Amino acid sequence: MQVNDLLEPNVRIRELKKDRVNFVLENVDISFANSLRRVMMADIPTVAIDMVEFDTNTTVLPDEFIAHRLGMIPLVSTNCDEAIRYSRDCTCLESCQNCSIELILNVACHESRTMDITSNHLDVVVRGGFGWREEVDDGEEIARRSENFGHPVGKNDPSVQPVLICKIRKGQELRVRCIAKKGIAKEHAKWSPCSAVSFEYDPHNRLRHTTYWYETDIKKEWPLSANAAEEEAPLDDEPFDYNAKPQKFYFEVETDGSLGPQEVVMKGLTELQTKLANLVLGLKTDPPELDTLGGDAATQLPPANGTLPAQAAPRATGWGQEASPAGWGGAAGTPGSSAGGGGGGAGGGWGTSPTGGGTAWGGSSGSGASPPAGGWGTNTAAPAGAWGAAGSGWGTGSPPRNNTGWSSPNPQTQSGWNV
Amino acid sequence: MNAPNAPNRYELYVLEEGEKPVEVSEDTKIPNAATIKVVKQDHTLANMVRGQLLSMPQVLFAGYKVPHPLHPYFLVKIQTDGTITPTAALEQACTKLIGTLSSLEAKFKREFSFKDVEGVTTEDAYGTSTTGPAWTSGRDYMDF
Repeated sequence: MQVNDLLEPNVRIRELKKDRVNFVLENVDISFANSLRRVMMADIPTVAIDMVEFDTNTTVLPDEFIAHRLGMIPLVSTNCDEAIRYSRDCTCLESCQNCSIELILNVACHESRTMDITSNHLDVVVRGGFGWREEVDDGEEIARRSENFGHPVGKNDPSVQPVLICKIRKGQELRVRCIAKKGIAKEHAKWSPCSAVSFEYDPHNRLRHTTYWYETDIKKEWPLSANAAEEEAPLDDEPFDYNAKPQKFYFEVETDGSLGPQEVVMKGLTELQTKLANLVLGLKTDPPELDTLGGDAATQLPPANGTLPAQAAPRATGWGQEASPAGWGGAAGTPGSSAGGGGGGAGGGWGTSPTGGGTAWGGSSGSGASPPAGGWGTNTAAPAGAWGAAGSGWGTGSPPRNNTGWSSPNPQTQSGWNV
Repeated sequence: MNAPNAPNRYELYVLEEGEKPVEVSEDTKIPNAATIKVVKQDHTLANMVRGQLLSMPQVLFAGYKVPHPLHPYFLVKIQTDGTITPTAALEQACTKLIGTLSSLEAKFKREFSFKDVEGVTTEDAYGTSTTGPAWTSGRDYMDF
């Protein structure tokens, strides 16, 4: 840890493709690296089909089966922060053009062959088509949407295989109306922009965060991962350094196409900053609220509900210029605060996202396993998944194996404090 | 779908109207110690903050727990050596982390821009997408 403090965190992108990025993160604490992993998987908003109205369904699959499949289809969600509201923050009763996207699917088979209904048959309804149930004025969100916002990923792109929804035969028909909404993967994994995030450190298992079971020869039976080339292999007679800490983390972020990998990583970093900023704000605003009920500071409390772009805008200009009278950091002049200013200008900084408090709050989900447990590309279905616990040093879990005990670096202590 | 009386799932991560995000309660038995309850947050924030607190020389003890996986809050317990209060320590840790994140953000941005120039993104991201997947060929149980 002390070592981490001296060195600046560093990142190196090894590969960048349309749907994935592979990078190495160095000189950060394992808890930091893991938080980045978690936030990319579970805290970044996208749009996904959330409500389905069935007009006709004469296919072999029941309605709820198809509704579920429709929900899992990735929809283009670029710039989701600004382009759409959360329904819960919207003024409408159920859904409107500001907080949802309407899609229809209308397919019937008239030939004597099996026909595939795929995501390519989903059409986004241009407003005025089906007609919304209530009249709502256009918000500024509409103007911020890209042309294909809310369309199924890869529609009309022959190089992308469409997603199969159902197969039908002659005389069968599927006619549904879908409402896609904005959400995050903590609510349902369908909103995760990542299909997999792999996270590995210590490929040689120097730190002994895992134990390999083996028959006769551990080296033969456990092939090294590709990342082992990045680090020097330990000598056979090398003594165990029990103070060593993991320094290098190998990430591969694979997206489902709803967001680009760059957007996922950058949004993830911003989201973490928002979380921290809200915590600082919560600490700051605690005392003043007691004596001066209300006041600016109190109103600046992350308003979970009410995505008020107007309010977010001033915050964008810099670190809490009006956030709280006391300003942000007690630690003025730390490298932190100066670097933060730069970042704020560049990436939008913290609390700049119009969604403000809305996205910022991530609650623990029931699914939460041990956070740093990573594992091989944890899957969308289990945002906090601790898959390959047995895995060969792939994201071997460390601190809080025990959810209930105070998390400790050695998971064995069931409820011991940990330092 | 959800049971009719099920709470909205976003209540796991969105503060309720007027809900305070943080509650500080000072420890009565240990000097310079406090337990801070952070509402509607999970391991993502908690573990990161704990890690940062432990790196601070003024902090004697820092640990966190999520008392129940269905209750969306966590507790951080902090004891300092008395030169700063636990709350101040937490605040410093957060500020430091924000700084680290911003510098990392800048580095990521630079790295991404380099990669854009190299034109790696134009590669076929989906591999052999022209050949159909296995399930389109042959009959399966749905045909019967």
